[in-house]
Amino acid sequence: MPPTGDPVEARLRANAEGLNALLAEAEEARAARAETGGDGDSAVCAWNHFENIPTFYNWNNRPR
Amino acid sequence: MSGVAAVPEYVVLQPTTLCNLDCTYCYLPHRALDRRMPVEVARAVAADVNRWAADNERFSVVWHGGEPLAAGRDHLAALMAPFEGVEHHVQTNATLIDDRWCNFFAAHRVRVSVSVDGPAVRNGQRVTRGGAPAYERIVRGVDALRRHELPFSALCVVSDPRPELAAELYAYFLDLGCDVLGINIEEQEGVNARANAHAESDVRGFWAALVEAWRRDPRIHLREIEYTLRYAGAVLAGTADGVLPRRLDPIPTVAADGRVFVLSPELAGFTDRRYGDFSSGTVRDTPLAEILAGAVERTPWLREFLDGVEGCRATCPYFGFCGGAHAANRYFEHGRFDVTETDHCRNSKIRLLEGVLDHAANR
Repeated sequence: MPPTGDPVEARLRANAEGLNALLAEAEEARAARAETGGDGDSAVCAWNHFENIPTFYNWNNRPR
Repeated sequence: MSGVAAVPEYVVLQPTTLCNLDCTYCYLPHRALDRRMPVEVARAVAADVNRWAADNERFSVVWHGGEPLAAGRDHLAALMAPFEGVEHHVQTNATLIDDRWCNFFAAHRVRVSVSVDGPAVRNGQRVTRGGAPAYERIVRGVDALRRHELPFSALCVVSDPRPELAAELYAYFLDLGCDVLGINIEEQEGVNARANAHAESDVRGFWAALVEAWRRDPRIHLREIEYTLRYAGAVLAGTADGVLPRRLDPIPTVAADGRVFVLSPELAGFTDRRYGDFSSGTVRDTPLAEILAGAVERTPWLREFLDGVEGCRATCPYFGFCGGAHAANRYFEHGRFDVTETDHCRNSKIRLLEGVLDHAANR
């Protein structure tokens, strides 16, 4: 486990108000994007596929 | 998250080592040579990939270079032909894209991602083999995509991250018309030995300003910001343990000659006294599935890398967000894989999260 009581997570929780506002706007923006329609033809398809879209969506050791 | 999975969710194939550009920050060592992937190599990869694809809702084959379009339409089509039930993706510099390539993308349902670093003045490092600016050719290629109404992603390398750059870049990509944008802070890897250390305030400020710009008009799916928000949302919901995959995807890169490189395509083409050629085998004599199943046992650097991941887990408070420093960054910055924090970690993980937090705290 990371050392210590997860100081990063603690700071995220301490900024919950600002982050929640940002998260709500991000969710609204995703819903408004055409690519979330799920027809599979756009450059990106859906939030739940985010990490599985290659070339650069995979967070770790992605080709770049 | 622990260890490396034996079955990937996508594979990366190098149809040719050649790139028609000579970008100053490129990591590829053999990009001036046109070594093309034989169709037998693609067939060997497809033998396992098609089975995996049949078991997966989505499975992707990424054509990555060199410049994949430099292989030519006929050869790329021949390489794609053995694959069934997969999504094809291409990462391209766009300079070769014309109406015929657009028709090819549509016919083969290829998803396109373009490498471009912003407006002309920010593309000084993307040059032809003669050293001439490539920007006008890149734009012509993007114009063709738009003319054919083909959606595309964009990848932008930022060599000098500063707060004042963020809004300019985001406005550019809004105008360019990409659906998705990824920002790569330049990395020291491969044949690019340029140091990538930057002042913390500059990088944090860059990411914070990028959130600010994105928030004003979030039409683009911005990889780094959205991933960070995904993690933040999971922390706030008490589900952060589910953000990282249970095991690392091996993301096998199959080089033009059939050798397989797991996790880091950047290692292809290099050798080291301790690690050999970094490959885990070749599909010319061993099935890809068998190579991946035995990769940890047979690949010296990979065992060391997994020790490094555990080092990150034990010492870095950002591990839950990041999952451990990337293999290529460890090696090319420090010469080995069991080290932990890299400049890439600082630029693209730690300061990213801190920049998003700075933005959220100041609103």
